[in-house]
Amino acid sequence: MAIKLSPLFIGRGAHMEYLKMNNITMKFPGVVALDNVSFDLRLGEVHVLLGENGAGKSTLVKILSGIYTPTSGEITINGRPVSDLTPKGSADNKIAIIYQELSVVDNLSIAENMFLGKLPTKKKMGITVVDKEFLYAESEKYLKEIGLKKNPSTLVQDISISEKQQVEIAKALCSNAKVIIMDEPTSSLSIDETKNMFKIIEHLKKNNIGIIYISHKLPEIKEIGDRVTILKDGKYVKTLNISDLEVKDLVPLMIGREIKDKFVGTKREIAPDEQPTFVVKNLTRKDGTCRNINFEVYKGEILGFAGLIGAGRSECMEGIFGAKTISSGEVYYNGKKLKIHNPYDAMKQGIAMVTENRRETGFFPNFPIWKEIAVSTSLKKSTLGGFTGMVQTKSEKNIAEKFTKKLSIKCTGVNQMTYNLSGGNQQKVIISKWLAVDSNIFIFDEPTKGIDVGAKSEIYAIMRSMAEEGKTIIMVSSEMPELLSTCDRIIVFRDGEISGIFNSDEATEEKIMLAAVHLS
Amino acid sequence: MTKEKFQSFWNKFGTLCILIVLFIAFSIGSPKFFPQPANLIQCLLQSTVYILLAFGEFFAILLGGIDLSVGAVACFSGIIVADLSLKGVSPVVCLIVGLLGAVLFGFINGVLINALDLHPFVVTLGTNTIYRGICLVMTGGNPLFNLPKWVKGLSAYIVGIPKPVIYVAVIGIILVAFTTKTVAGRNLYALGGNKQSAWYSGINTKKYTVLAHILSSLLAGIGGIVMLARVGAAEPTAGAGYETYAIAACIIGGASLFGGKGRIWGVILGGITIGTINNGLNIMNVSAFWQKIVMGSLIIASVALEKLISNKVRK
Repeated sequence: MAIKLSPLFIGRGAHMEYLKMNNITMKFPGVVALDNVSFDLRLGEVHVLLGENGAGKSTLVKILSGIYTPTSGEITINGRPVSDLTPKGSADNKIAIIYQELSVVDNLSIAENMFLGKLPTKKKMGITVVDKEFLYAESEKYLKEIGLKKNPSTLVQDISISEKQQVEIAKALCSNAKVIIMDEPTSSLSIDETKNMFKIIEHLKKNNIGIIYISHKLPEIKEIGDRVTILKDGKYVKTLNISDLEVKDLVPLMIGREIKDKFVGTKREIAPDEQPTFVVKNLTRKDGTCRNINFEVYKGEILGFAGLIGAGRSECMEGIFGAKTISSGEVYYNGKKLKIHNPYDAMKQGIAMVTENRRETGFFPNFPIWKEIAVSTSLKKSTLGGFTGMVQTKSEKNIAEKFTKKLSIKCTGVNQMTYNLSGGNQQKVIISKWLAVDSNIFIFDEPTKGIDVGAKSEIYAIMRSMAEEGKTIIMVSSEMPELLSTCDRIIVFRDGEISGIFNSDEATEEKIMLAAVHLS
Repeated sequence: MTKEKFQSFWNKFGTLCILIVLFIAFSIGSPKFFPQPANLIQCLLQSTVYILLAFGEFFAILLGGIDLSVGAVACFSGIIVADLSLKGVSPVVCLIVGLLGAVLFGFINGVLINALDLHPFVVTLGTNTIYRGICLVMTGGNPLFNLPKWVKGLSAYIVGIPKPVIYVAVIGIILVAFTTKTVAGRNLYALGGNKQSAWYSGINTKKYTVLAHILSSLLAGIGGIVMLARVGAAEPTAGAGYETYAIAACIIGGASLFGGKGRIWGVILGGITIGTINNGLNIMNVSAFWQKIVMGSLIIASVALEKLISNKVRK
């Protein structure tokens, strides 16, 4: 339903609740995603939505964007009840959404993206053409407003992710949005980019725009948010003024228990004459994303890799694992040089890798959980380059069941499609796959990305117990607290090279950050 | 029946239902069609070449690709077998060399797809023309006939059942086992579902792409030999356009063009659907020219009906 609101009318609602969602319930077959949840938003505030994965934040956003129609409940915008919100109706009601996976069109210019579907036109010799002058002038105005110094005619494919995000914000501004929903906007931004994003958000607030902000980064919430609404398992917990509380108070509300950043398990001490079990020498990727990497890991140790996003940590691991081509470099396991040309070789010789991006490189959308977990195990047993062997349905299902219990994967059974699980549970299935392979060297690339707080600590515990059983573990992570609480030693990457190595007892967030960033 | 139950029923038996609808339609159209068991056998026999080609096509589609060269590869195998048989080479050698020729073509398809990193559509569009050209060059454009008796014997009847039907049944069973029970079969599904995930899980994606295309051509080659046996002569234009029937059979049978989905059992039903349409139109004395038009329309209608009902169920 399309409701046109006059600007005057919007202006009047400035200090009251512009958007109200009362007693919203959303049922899917077998699942209640939202159970009687209420939420409201004032103009000029940042209202944070907080909750573990699967708490119902995305569902709430999808209702506001008109993708889902709630089973029951009432939405009012500017005092008017709005029934059956459609995606178009949502836009008509001045709601703009900036998804985590950005929806800009890469092969169009910045300006064309901002005016997508409503390009300004003019008559030229009787033919309607795009009014480029107006288009660029108008776009320029909004880009200036948010401080993006780019020519509006630049193709979006040529700008960075953070700039794409800013284009989306500019697009929201030029559609006159009063409500902007941001879904984990800083998840792929660097520190500077995040600071810039906060500046933009401050600016939006001053312009009387209401922002619904979804983020898992608690310190960030304290910095930018005005109010916070906490959801837990689809239920409403509380709405609080952020100025009244400490960040650590939020965690127990989300999970019902307090999590301390305490070292998980016992630190592995290395004897002075001990020989490392896994050694990487002079590794350089063909594309130059990491260069001259030398490090060693001891048996039973968890070695962490810190650094900014794009510093070349994942790229280095892909090179070791054989997934991407290296131009030079050697890998030794127990003194023996390994020959790795592809992930199959790596897996056969005892290396496992849990990749960072589960959607693209992690799971199979057409497989149930048990097949997912069995894929690599059956390959390892197989010969002739991975072409022989029979499917062992019964034992494979048993193994899968064991792991669904061990990692407490929430599913209806091992026959459920991995695709239908929540993000965190998908990741657990992938981890199970590699645990089932029972390799000796485990590379975890952001193993807890998108996993809820409770499950995270379970995974740290599993990693530590694997180390205690004599596995060698490499963990790439962008979350410093988890590196500090999980790893025995931490290597820091900067611009494709190693810039520091710390023992975890002497490491601090500050020391790591100093090694990770350029000071000049 | 609840919605979910119907959905799972339709997923399993949708293709079969469409086939039954076709049977009923043809039986109404021509009384000669349904009541005679002899015609049912004829229907199956006419389906065999389509099914064999569709078996091959299935593996290309399973990876999210396509193989447009199955018709030409089938023709090529037929020509090799015919040519060697005319030179008095023993049957076993003829068949082995004929199938090896098909395997070679499949290998070339797979290697080109990997090496050039092109979509299989483009590669097989080109190789289809090349392979057809090779067929024409080999025969000088003339059909090979007066073949030894054993060639025709390949499609003879055993206890009232045509041999090609038996071949299809045996190969079908082997392929069902291959796709559902072997690690290699499962890996093909994995690769079709998500190529990157497959690579990071240790599956050698390039070798598996070659494997899929070798299987595709090998099965097309078998189809070509059956075609040769049924016709009794090797035409250099035999099987032209059959790739469309093979693709149609896969899709009617529930395979997804996006890859990772489909079952051999469905492909068999899809192939029989194509054969039935063919047979039904013959019996109703529809002219060969009109048959093409009706055939194409029925292919679209079958897939559309399948999709329509699936969508209805999902809502």
